[in-house]
Amino acid sequence: MTQIKVLGPGCPKCKTTYSNVLEALKQSNIEANVVKVEDIEEMMKYNVLTTPVLMIDEQIKIKGRVAQVNEIIELLKK
Amino acid sequence: MENQTLVKEICPTTTQEWVKNGALLVDVREKDEVAELAYDVPNIINIPLSEFEERFNEIPKDQDVVMVCKGGGRSLRAAGFLVNHGYTNVVNMQHGIARWVQKGFPTKGNTSVVTGGDSCCSTSGCC
Repeated sequence: MTQIKVLGPGCPKCKTTYSNVLEALKQSNIEANVVKVEDIEEMMKYNVLTTPVLMIDEQIKIKGRVAQVNEIIELLKK
Repeated sequence: MENQTLVKEICPTTTQEWVKNGALLVDVREKDEVAELAYDVPNIINIPLSEFEERFNEIPKDQDVVMVCKGGGRSLRAAGFLVNHGYTNVVNMQHGIARWVQKGFPTKGNTSVVTGGDSCCSTSGCC
Protein backbone atom coordinates (compact mmCIF):
# COMPACT_ATOMS: atom_id res chain seq x y z
CA MET A 1 0.00 0.00 0.00
CA THR A 2 1.12 3.52 -0.75
CA GLN A 3 2.75 5.31 2.18
CA ILE A 4 2.14 9.04 2.52
CA LYS A 5 3.85 11.28 5.03
CA VAL A 6 3.13 14.91 5.75
CA LEU A 7 6.05 16.53 7.53
CA GLY A 8 5.61 19.77 9.42
CA PRO A 9 5.61 21.23 12.91
CA GLY A 10 1.82 21.51 13.10
CA CYS A 11 1.42 24.89 11.44
CA PRO A 12 -1.72 25.85 9.44
CA LYS A 13 -0.09 25.03 6.07
CA CYS A 14 0.90 21.59 7.36
CA LYS A 15 -2.65 20.94 8.57
CA THR A 16 -4.05 22.05 5.21
CA THR A 17 -1.67 19.72 3.38
CA TYR A 18 -2.72 16.84 5.61
CA SER A 19 -6.43 17.47 5.03
CA ASN A 20 -5.76 17.86 1.28
CA VAL A 21 -4.15 14.42 1.28
CA LEU A 22 -7.20 12.91 2.93
CA GLU A 23 -9.47 14.68 0.45
CA ALA A 24 -7.34 13.49 -2.49
CA LEU A 25 -7.58 9.89 -1.29
CA LYS A 26 -11.32 10.24 -0.89
CA GLN A 27 -11.82 11.72 -4.35
CA SER A 28 -9.55 9.23 -6.09
CA ASN A 29 -10.61 6.12 -4.16
CA ILE A 30 -6.95 5.29 -3.64
CA GLU A 31 -5.98 3.54 -0.44
CA ALA A 32 -2.88 4.68 1.42
CA ASN A 33 -1.36 4.85 4.85
CA VAL A 34 -1.16 8.49 5.87
CA VAL A 35 1.18 9.60 8.62
CA LYS A 36 1.62 13.06 10.05
CA VAL A 37 5.22 13.65 11.16
CA GLU A 38 5.53 16.52 13.62
CA ASP A 39 8.61 15.35 15.51
CA ILE A 40 11.52 17.65 14.75
CA GLU A 41 14.14 14.92 15.04
CA GLU A 42 12.23 12.71 12.64
CA MET A 43 11.94 15.63 10.23
CA MET A 44 15.65 16.35 10.42
CA LYS A 45 16.40 12.78 9.38
CA TYR A 46 14.86 13.68 6.03
CA ASN A 47 16.97 16.88 5.81
CA VAL A 48 13.82 18.95 5.71
CA LEU A 49 14.37 22.69 5.68
CA THR A 50 11.08 24.17 4.53
CA THR A 51 7.71 22.77 5.55
CA PRO A 52 5.23 21.36 4.89
CA VAL A 53 6.65 18.39 3.01
CA LEU A 54 4.61 15.77 1.18
CA MET A 55 6.30 12.39 0.88
CA ILE A 56 4.97 9.46 -1.11
CA ASP A 57 6.66 6.12 -0.58
CA GLU A 58 9.60 7.81 1.18
CA GLN A 59 10.23 10.23 -1.69
CA ILE A 60 9.86 13.98 -1.22
CA LYS A 61 7.33 15.18 -3.79
CA ILE A 62 6.43 18.70 -2.64
CA LYS A 63 8.17 20.86 -0.07
CA GLY A 64 7.78 24.33 1.36
CA ARG A 65 4.18 24.84 0.29
CA VAL A 66 0.68 23.43 0.55
CA ALA A 67 0.09 20.49 -1.78
CA GLN A 68 -3.21 20.95 -3.61
CA VAL A 69 -5.78 18.17 -3.86
CA ASN A 70 -5.53 17.86 -7.66
CA GLU A 71 -1.76 17.65 -7.69
CA ILE A 72 -1.78 15.05 -4.92
CA ILE A 73 -4.17 12.95 -7.01
CA GLU A 74 -1.84 13.30 -10.00
CA LEU A 75 1.16 12.28 -7.92
CA LEU A 76 -0.69 9.26 -6.57
CA LYS A 77 -1.63 8.10 -10.05
CA LYS A 78 1.99 8.12 -11.27
CA MET B 1 12.90 24.38 22.84
CA GLU B 2 12.40 21.35 20.65
CA ASN B 3 12.87 17.88 22.07
CA GLN B 4 15.64 16.45 19.92
CA THR B 5 19.15 15.06 20.26
CA LEU B 6 20.68 15.58 16.83
CA VAL B 7 21.76 19.18 17.35
CA LYS B 8 23.30 20.78 20.41
CA GLU B 9 21.40 23.90 21.44
CA ILE B 10 22.62 26.93 23.35
CA CYS B 11 20.86 30.02 24.69
CA PRO B 12 21.50 33.63 23.56
CA THR B 13 23.67 34.31 26.62
CA THR B 14 25.94 31.36 25.87
CA THR B 15 26.00 32.49 22.26
CA GLN B 16 27.66 35.70 23.46
CA GLU B 17 30.54 33.59 24.75
CA TRP B 18 30.77 31.71 21.47
CA VAL B 19 30.85 35.04 19.61
CA LYS B 20 33.67 36.30 21.84
CA ASN B 21 35.59 33.13 21.04
CA GLY B 22 35.28 33.76 17.31
CA ALA B 23 32.25 31.70 16.33
CA LEU B 24 30.44 32.47 13.09
CA LEU B 25 26.73 33.22 13.31
CA VAL B 26 24.61 32.03 10.38
CA ASP B 27 21.27 33.82 10.19
CA VAL B 28 18.74 31.79 8.17
CA ARG B 29 15.96 34.38 8.15
CA GLU B 30 14.86 35.80 4.83
CA LYS B 31 16.50 38.96 3.48
CA ASP B 32 13.54 41.23 4.23
CA GLU B 33 13.54 40.11 7.84
CA VAL B 34 17.27 40.80 8.17
CA ALA B 35 16.82 44.23 6.57
CA GLU B 36 14.34 45.11 9.31
CA LEU B 37 16.35 43.81 12.22
CA ALA B 38 19.79 42.20 12.25
CA TYR B 39 22.12 40.68 14.81
CA ASP B 40 25.00 43.09 15.43
CA VAL B 41 28.00 40.78 15.88
CA PRO B 42 31.42 40.73 14.18
CA ASN B 43 31.15 37.42 12.34
CA ILE B 44 27.79 36.80 10.71
CA ILE B 45 26.46 35.71 7.34
CA ASN B 46 22.89 35.54 6.09
CA ILE B 47 21.84 32.42 4.20
CA PRO B 48 18.03 32.44 4.00
CA LEU B 49 16.41 29.07 4.53
CA SER B 50 14.88 29.36 1.05
CA GLU B 51 18.44 29.39 -0.40
CA PHE B 52 20.04 27.12 2.13
CA GLU B 53 20.32 23.92 0.10
CA GLU B 54 22.16 25.77 -2.68
CA ARG B 55 24.40 27.85 -0.42
CA PHE B 56 25.22 25.84 2.69
CA ASN B 57 28.71 25.13 1.29
CA GLU B 58 29.57 28.76 2.11
CA ILE B 59 29.65 27.77 5.77
CA PRO B 60 33.14 26.69 6.85
CA LYS B 61 33.51 23.24 8.37
CA ASP B 62 36.58 24.17 10.42
CA GLN B 63 34.98 26.95 12.46
CA ASP B 64 32.49 27.02 15.32
CA VAL B 65 29.09 27.93 13.91
CA VAL B 66 25.94 29.11 15.67
CA MET B 67 22.73 28.91 13.66
CA VAL B 68 20.22 31.68 14.40
CA CYS B 69 16.81 32.88 13.21
CA LYS B 70 13.76 34.63 14.65
CA GLY B 71 12.58 32.07 17.19
CA GLY B 72 14.97 29.13 16.93
CA GLY B 73 12.82 26.79 14.83
CA ARG B 74 14.12 27.39 11.34
CA SER B 75 17.74 27.53 12.51
CA LEU B 76 17.31 24.17 14.24
CA ARG B 77 16.26 22.55 10.99
CA ALA B 78 19.17 24.19 9.18
CA ALA B 79 21.56 23.01 11.90
CA GLY B 80 20.23 19.47 11.54
CA PHE B 81 20.76 19.73 7.79
CA LEU B 82 24.40 20.71 8.37
CA VAL B 83 24.96 17.89 10.87
CA ASN B 84 23.57 15.47 8.29
CA HIS B 85 26.11 16.92 5.84
CA GLY B 86 29.08 16.25 8.08
CA TYR B 87 29.39 19.46 10.05
CA THR B 88 30.55 18.78 13.57
CA ASN B 89 31.04 22.28 15.03
CA VAL B 90 27.46 23.47 14.62
CA VAL B 91 25.03 24.44 17.37
CA ASN B 92 21.60 26.03 17.31
CA MET B 93 20.71 29.16 19.26
CA GLN B 94 17.37 28.65 21.01
CA HIS B 95 14.66 31.33 21.02
CA GLY B 96 16.19 33.37 18.19
CA ILE B 97 16.43 37.11 17.86
CA ALA B 98 13.25 37.55 19.91
CA ARG B 99 15.02 36.41 23.09
CA TRP B 100 18.25 38.09 21.95
CA VAL B 101 16.42 41.43 21.93
CA GLN B 102 14.75 40.71 25.29
CA LYS B 103 18.20 40.15 26.76
CA GLY B 104 19.38 43.50 25.42
CA PHE B 105 22.06 42.03 23.16
CA PRO B 106 23.25 44.15 20.20
CA THR B 107 21.11 44.50 17.10
CA LYS B 108 20.76 46.81 14.13
CA GLY B 109 17.30 47.97 13.10
CA ASN B 110 13.78 48.00 14.46
CA THR B 111 13.39 45.75 17.50
CA SER B 112 9.62 46.25 17.62
CA VAL B 113 9.26 43.62 14.86
CA VAL B 114 10.08 40.88 17.36
CA THR B 115 8.59 42.25 20.54
CA GLY B 116 4.98 41.84 19.41
CA GLY B 117 4.86 38.05 19.74
CA ASP B 118 6.90 34.93 20.26
CA SER B 119 6.12 32.99 17.10
CA CYS B 120 8.87 30.58 16.10
CA CYS B 121 8.02 30.84 12.47
CA SER B 122 7.67 33.77 10.22
CA THR B 123 6.71 34.48 6.64
CA SER B 124 8.62 32.40 4.14
CA GLY B 125 10.77 29.34 4.59
CA CYS B 126 8.55 28.10 7.32
CA CYS B 127 4.92 27.98 8.18
